[in-house]
Amino acid sequence: MLFTQALLAGVTNGFVYALVGLGIAVIFKGSHVINAMQGELAVVGAATAVFAAAIWGLPLWLAVVAGALTGMAIAILVELGPIRALFARRAREESFLLLTVGLGFTFSAGVLYLFGREEHLLPALGDEVYEIFGAIIREHALWVIAISAVLILALRLFYRHTHLGLSMMAASIDPDGAATTGINVRAMRTATFALGGLLAALAGLLVAPLIGVGYQMGPLLTLKGFAAAILGGLSNPLGALVGGLVIGILEAMSIVFVSSGMKDAVALTLLIVIMIFVPDGILGRAGRKGG
Amino acid sequence: MLPNKTSLAPPGIAGELPAQRLRTTRPSAAALSVLALAAGLYLILPLVLERHAVDLLVFCGLYAIAGAGVGFLLGQGGIVNLGQAAFYGIGGYASAYCSARLGWPTPAGIAIGIALSLAIAALIGRPILRLSGYFLALATLALGIICTNIYFEADFITGGTLGVPGVPKLAIGGFVFDTPEKFYYLVWPIAFATILAMHNLMGSRVGLALQAMRDAPDAAMVMAIDNARLKLWIFMLSSGLGALSGSLFAHYVGFVNVDSFGVDKSIMFLLVPVIGGASVPAGAIIGALFIGLVPELLSALGDIHRVLFGLALVASVVFFPDGLWGLGRSLTGLVRRRSGAAARGETTP
Repeated sequence: MLFTQALLAGVTNGFVYALVGLGIAVIFKGSHVINAMQGELAVVGAATAVFAAAIWGLPLWLAVVAGALTGMAIAILVELGPIRALFARRAREESFLLLTVGLGFTFSAGVLYLFGREEHLLPALGDEVYEIFGAIIREHALWVIAISAVLILALRLFYRHTHLGLSMMAASIDPDGAATTGINVRAMRTATFALGGLLAALAGLLVAPLIGVGYQMGPLLTLKGFAAAILGGLSNPLGALVGGLVIGILEAMSIVFVSSGMKDAVALTLLIVIMIFVPDGILGRAGRKGG
Repeated sequence: MLPNKTSLAPPGIAGELPAQRLRTTRPSAAALSVLALAAGLYLILPLVLERHAVDLLVFCGLYAIAGAGVGFLLGQGGIVNLGQAAFYGIGGYASAYCSARLGWPTPAGIAIGIALSLAIAALIGRPILRLSGYFLALATLALGIICTNIYFEADFITGGTLGVPGVPKLAIGGFVFDTPEKFYYLVWPIAFATILAMHNLMGSRVGLALQAMRDAPDAAMVMAIDNARLKLWIFMLSSGLGALSGSLFAHYVGFVNVDSFGVDKSIMFLLVPVIGGASVPAGAIIGALFIGLVPELLSALGDIHRVLFGLALVASVVFFPDGLWGLGRSLTGLVRRRSGAAARGETTP
């Protein structure tokens, strides 16, 4: 009973981690930058929606769109400004990391300043409660799973079959070759960040009705998303999903069998172990080729 | 005025050892007088400043010690350490537990904190340091969060959120460091000695090996430099300094709880060298002063000071890759070149 309950919670969380990880993977694929502020973008997106609805009185759907676009806009601005400056300087990896960590800190401080310390909840997409094998699950959790699954599938199709998606891949794998065929490599990198920012904000918006979003949860969300992404191999969308589910379920099991306070420690220890022993992800090396 | 002879000498004169060329030249009279002035200023500051300011400077000293470790990893090893607060916490809790709960003499707690820190760093460092770049940085961040979690859960030692109150003042051989002024004269010499030792280390064979490892790991390996061991050593050095700083913090404040050892502290310790400059150990002093004093100045503006602080970090990464130290050096270089040009202009019309 408790087991099934934890499992369901783990699966729901797993989809959220998958979305965060997907954003990190998208940005890494397109620019070879690990975006350490992915979690903060999720927080900013959710907080914007909460306050657009509460303060300006926007209808919920419009507030959600505003939140998603805010996450996307911030990511675009970050790419156009500091990220380009660092690329122009041919900065090393650590500079990019310090930059995104610093930006993450700034945004989390901004959320604290503008919206305060409390956790912000969005209204759920549905208030029904269902029973599955003796455990209960909220309707919104089912929406989270369904919407995430659709997004992951859409992303796969986007990279495989659309002109923009293919151009973004080409620009990342072989910038010179892509430029020769008339692809605007810089614009593709901006597009990559836009997509990553959008995914982050959507993750935040989806999770906000379930757990509430606070200014300080960014780094943890980033790390779990990152764990999901590299567990899946940092490249294919399905990988991030598998990774997210593994981490979400493991975390849930550690609540049942260890202690609820240690769930983050278990998930993060797993992250370290994965990075050391299976750096290419559980789906193998082939997935990692091409960025 | 004659131009500085050393700056005109062609690099690598025959017979000169490369090691000597890599080391900085003998300090000029100007540099020495600046140093003497700074030393004088350091000594008299507590006499003229009010207590609150001295208190802030003590914290700056603590940040300098922990930040110097992170800075050495960053500047000499190219390693981004986002988990220093974990070791800061080990030091803090070891001191608090040993002196407040067990009633042991304070130096014993400090020694245990450092020993524990070194042991844990050696144990965790082995596997973690096999990673590099982003992966290593995120692993250290994860390590920091794991430790915060453990501090929270292991409340039989750490007291959880309630913390450990009543940590006694540091006492060495009967002398009790019970005022900010006394602590000021303890913390900063430790920071200066740390930085001097690091400076000397950089000029030694180990320092050259580190440089080789950072700039060309494969070539270094060919030259029989054990990269893995070097990385482990500097990681242990950094964590030992983190523990020392944490112990001093516990004795100074007299109270520790989980809030003092969170991820934001780790980020702050990383900021010390990033803002101050990681290429030289002394950057940690500049960075620590910046981090200890600027938020205090900005806090008059209210909660927005955290945002401004974050922006300062971002600006530092984008515009001053070598922090304030690098900024200062390029400015003095500019002045020197200007004045040099002026001097030449006078002699050769």
